[in-house]
Amino acid sequence: MKIAVAGKGGAGKTTVSGTVARAFARAGHEVLALDADANPMLGVSLGVGPERTELLLGVRQGLETGEVEHEPTIEGMVERFGADAPDGVRLVVASRIDNDSPGCQCCGVSPDQLLRELEGGDRRTVICDLEAGLGTLARLEPGNADAVLVVANPSAKALEVARRAIEIAEDKTEVIVLANRVRDHADLDAIRAVLGDRELIVIPEDPSIARADRDGLAPIDLDEDSPGVTAVVALVDRLAGAPVPA
Amino acid sequence: MRLAVVGKGGAGKSVVAGTMARVLARQGERVLALDSDLLPGLTLSLGLGADPALAPMGEAAEKDENGRWRLKPGIGPARAVQRFAIDAPDGIRLLQAGKTPREGLEPIMGSFNAYYRVVHRLGDVKSFESWTMLGDLPAGPRHIAFDWAPFARTYVVVVQPTAQSALAGRRVARIVRMREGLKAVYIANRVTGKADVTHVERLVGERVIAALPADDGVAEAERLGLAPIDHAPDSPAVAEVERLVATLANL
Repeated sequence: MKIAVAGKGGAGKTTVSGTVARAFARAGHEVLALDADANPMLGVSLGVGPERTELLLGVRQGLETGEVEHEPTIEGMVERFGADAPDGVRLVVASRIDNDSPGCQCCGVSPDQLLRELEGGDRRTVICDLEAGLGTLARLEPGNADAVLVVANPSAKALEVARRAIEIAEDKTEVIVLANRVRDHADLDAIRAVLGDRELIVIPEDPSIARADRDGLAPIDLDEDSPGVTAVVALVDRLAGAPVPA
Repeated sequence: MRLAVVGKGGAGKSVVAGTMARVLARQGERVLALDSDLLPGLTLSLGLGADPALAPMGEAAEKDENGRWRLKPGIGPARAVQRFAIDAPDGIRLLQAGKTPREGLEPIMGSFNAYYRVVHRLGDVKSFESWTMLGDLPAGPRHIAFDWAPFARTYVVVVQPTAQSALAGRRVARIVRMREGLKAVYIANRVTGKADVTHVERLVGERVIAALPADDGVAEAERLGLAPIDHAPDSPAVAEVERLVATLANL
């Protein structure tokens, strides 16, 4: 299975992606977490820590600097450039822009290409944290992802981005909308007013997740029973079907 | 002043950029606001709503014989601003690259290319010398690295008190400082007290030049899609933006 996570910056994509990945792993899946953001942060919410996240090499940059001699396969890149995260999750950073001459983005390995070519299937679950905005979704083709999670928090800007993301993605794949950081009915009403009467996975405002974000920890490590983490785990249980026996 | 506002998504870039633009315009500056974000944000914080009558720059561009985009003959930077910038409150002029439509990026590629060429030539226009230019950049490092705000001399890096926001802030400040003559300054946003300011300063490794308090008025403006300076003009966050503007003027 391949799942991409989209939304406005700050809506909670990375926090959701990291927690979804960990929850799939705990349900017995082999999980590949693909960080497709040029500003890669997924390591933080997976529990790798900000310092180690900062040291992870992007596949694109690794190939450019000649880290691999032969024509690499996609699986070879995952093997060579991936890092281990808790619960057996394998983390791969597609590309990071960290200098003022990052080169032509049309050439070389792109996050789009990794998302397209990585195999999900029965063997493994790929969770892809997209760059903020709509670029990757606009280029997504049917079959690139089995589902897109659109993350929206109750602000006018995040909802406008979510509305557009749903419009772009729903012709291509299954779309699941996550209403994040919901405090009360007024928040839910604000979300429904923009996104209409569709199913919403509600993730309540959660002080434990806020603390994890503040301190650079994985929410699932800080408190796996907090209301927000519980809501994400319930979604994963639904997507994963019955837990895989160990 | 020549400014660009950068940072992680959700850090509050557009709120800061939109409010700074309004404050400067009210002080009598001629302000050109520059929006290269493909997502809505700045228009809301300026007080224009989500979908103002757009003047997309598509008409400014054409493809040459090799299929590459270029500005149409006769369209220079001054003409482009005159024709394609739209009016925002307090006399601000707003130039936008364009927003991603349902069909994807293809329909706005002309507009996007025209915008990039125009911002690179804003420095050629004598009559703009006295203007304040203020860019609101999309989340992350991409537009800094690819030089979407060549007019900017000072980059305002917005950081809220979270590890990810600080990490993103450090990354973008590092890229800005690789370019000669460019400054990067940090501001903290949505702080609930001195401890949050200290937390941000510890995470980014230096002092911030302003700290905007977490503010119910601004939060409500965000929820409603209104300009903070219209919805909560007396809020502490707006007052801190006024101080920030004064600090930047004296840098």
